[in-house]
Amino acid sequence: MKQSYDFNIEKIKNLSLEEKISRQKNLDLFYKSGFPSKQAEDWKFTDLNLILNKNFENISNEVNFESNKELKVVESFQHNYIFLTNGKIISSSFAYEEKSKILIKDFRQKEKTNLELGNSLTLLNDALSSGGFSLEITKNYKLKKPLVVYNYFSKDLKNKILNNKNYIKLNEGSELTLIDYNDGHEQSNFIKNTTDIVLLDKNAVLKNIFIQESKSNGHFYKYIKGSLEGGASYEHYILSSGLKLNKIEIEINLNKEDSSCSIFSALNLLEDQHQEIKTRINHNSPKCKSYQKIKNVLNGKSKGVYQGKIFVEKVAQKTNAYQLSKALILDDEAEFDAKPELEIYADDVKCSHGSTSGSIDSDAVHYLMTRGIPKNEAIKLLINGFLNEVLEKITNNELKIFLEKILERQINGH
Amino acid sequence: MLKIKNLKVAINEKLILKGLDLDIKPGEVHAIMGPNGSGKSTLANVLSGKNGYTVEGEINFNGMNLNDLKIEERAQKGIFLAFQYPLEIPGVNTNNFLRTSLNSVRKARGEKELDTLSFLKLIKEKAKELNIDEKFLSRQLNVGFSGGEKKKNEILQMKLLEPKLSILDETDSGLDIDALRIVADGVNTYKNKDNAFLIITHYQRLLDYIKPDYIHVLSAGKIIKTGNADLGEQLEKTGYANLS
Repeated sequence: MKQSYDFNIEKIKNLSLEEKISRQKNLDLFYKSGFPSKQAEDWKFTDLNLILNKNFENISNEVNFESNKELKVVESFQHNYIFLTNGKIISSSFAYEEKSKILIKDFRQKEKTNLELGNSLTLLNDALSSGGFSLEITKNYKLKKPLVVYNYFSKDLKNKILNNKNYIKLNEGSELTLIDYNDGHEQSNFIKNTTDIVLLDKNAVLKNIFIQESKSNGHFYKYIKGSLEGGASYEHYILSSGLKLNKIEIEINLNKEDSSCSIFSALNLLEDQHQEIKTRINHNSPKCKSYQKIKNVLNGKSKGVYQGKIFVEKVAQKTNAYQLSKALILDDEAEFDAKPELEIYADDVKCSHGSTSGSIDSDAVHYLMTRGIPKNEAIKLLINGFLNEVLEKITNNELKIFLEKILERQINGH
Repeated sequence: MLKIKNLKVAINEKLILKGLDLDIKPGEVHAIMGPNGSGKSTLANVLSGKNGYTVEGEINFNGMNLNDLKIEERAQKGIFLAFQYPLEIPGVNTNNFLRTSLNSVRKARGEKELDTLSFLKLIKEKAKELNIDEKFLSRQLNVGFSGGEKKKNEILQMKLLEPKLSILDETDSGLDIDALRIVADGVNTYKNKDNAFLIITHYQRLLDYIKPDYIHVLSAGKIIKTGNADLGEQLEKTGYANLS
């Protein structure tokens, strides 16, 4: 089966001739392989080509960035914000900060931002990206409040693909909590292909939280490439339940000593939702730490996937790496696939991984029912208990309560 | 309140209760004593509605056929089982669980659900009565609790849900003497003319603190002797063997 596309670089505004040529090269490279299918090892559990064939026809990259949507902010905790429509900045507010410390602008793809990732979706992104933001925080500036990036999508996205690139740079000693907040009950099928480039300088701290606020027919793919200098810390929380299809691929390079990265996810998948988290943590330097805790609850015919790789270079002695995946499978037709991988070339390291999947504890359900709680409520309470644990390390109490409520809504099916 | 007639219960094709009769009226405290394997816990489990048992005979609770009620309905209508081994449930916050439980019961009884603040006020009072440290309430349900703390937590739930019939399944096991006294006080202060207790125990010990109106001796699936509080002391001296 051949996917029909209608990709055209001419539809992207304000490109120089050099850019057009470079982008066309990437598009040609994409055409050679097309959307990945399960024949590709990295996609063996998520046959994107098949899924797109089933749900899309004549995919187009012609995207309108005009927004007439009323902007509405979350009121339960104080925050700065950026509003994006289809990935492009509409407005921003840093009311709680010293504005001179923060640089925010539209992302401009230069001629050579090809990441050489070799993945056909990142190639497509290199070819077609438009919109996106570039954010830089000045040395030693610690944002006082979290930054929420509100992602809105227009109603005319049926069979469209959005390609966005975002660039986030935290200079030495700066700190930021960035919340990707996807809002909107999209009825029509569309694709969002995002590449995030994250650079953390010495001792910089980034907490990144992905929230799916509502049920959506969006088919999302995100590639995050992070590079960390000495003592820098990256934490990523994934609460993306509600998306029809979502694959988040995270590559973190721990390039200097004492840098660390943590990845947490809590997903409750319903119906035929399909979500994959794929990580690759490269321990390129000694004394770095990585920690991953992936939790999935699978209902209906949903499918969850975790592919987690820890790579430890020969020089990366005293590495401490941990990954754990736990899944609760609630229905016979639901599926969870886990592929943990350790590739270690150093000899003085501490690496561990574990993966379990099982059904819900029927004794626990019984116990709760003897306390007057109906069965479906009892199961929800247990699911909540199972998933909630990943939020333990969030220290901002207001934010934690907000995230707990999001998780509760996701467990109730939005 | 509870009338059991010729109750037979089997599990895995093995007959455990072989024709048990019991009549509990409001305001009464009944104790069931008996050797290991006599069917005491089976009786408690069947009353709470645990799956896996084949049940024959009549169990009438306040005019309702208990076998027709779902597990949660039994709790909502006023049956409470304090577990012999309360479960540890990781991830589930104790307070959150208690509030969900109370509100489920209140909702079923047509009462208004409690908001967070009123609930917290109520639970703090109840916890204080049982000498339970408030910090336990913000921990995961029974996780890392000592045996005594788990049992106190059961009694806390009882006092919160205000059942008509409370079944205490070996609540005294694993309790030190101070905890035993607190648990017994908890029961004694809750006891009134409208509610009733069924206390399942191996030993006389708990019955020194909670005075039963009747003691039944269960052996090999049947009640073989019924007496007043003195029967417990007699059993303590002579053992079960001399009865059968």
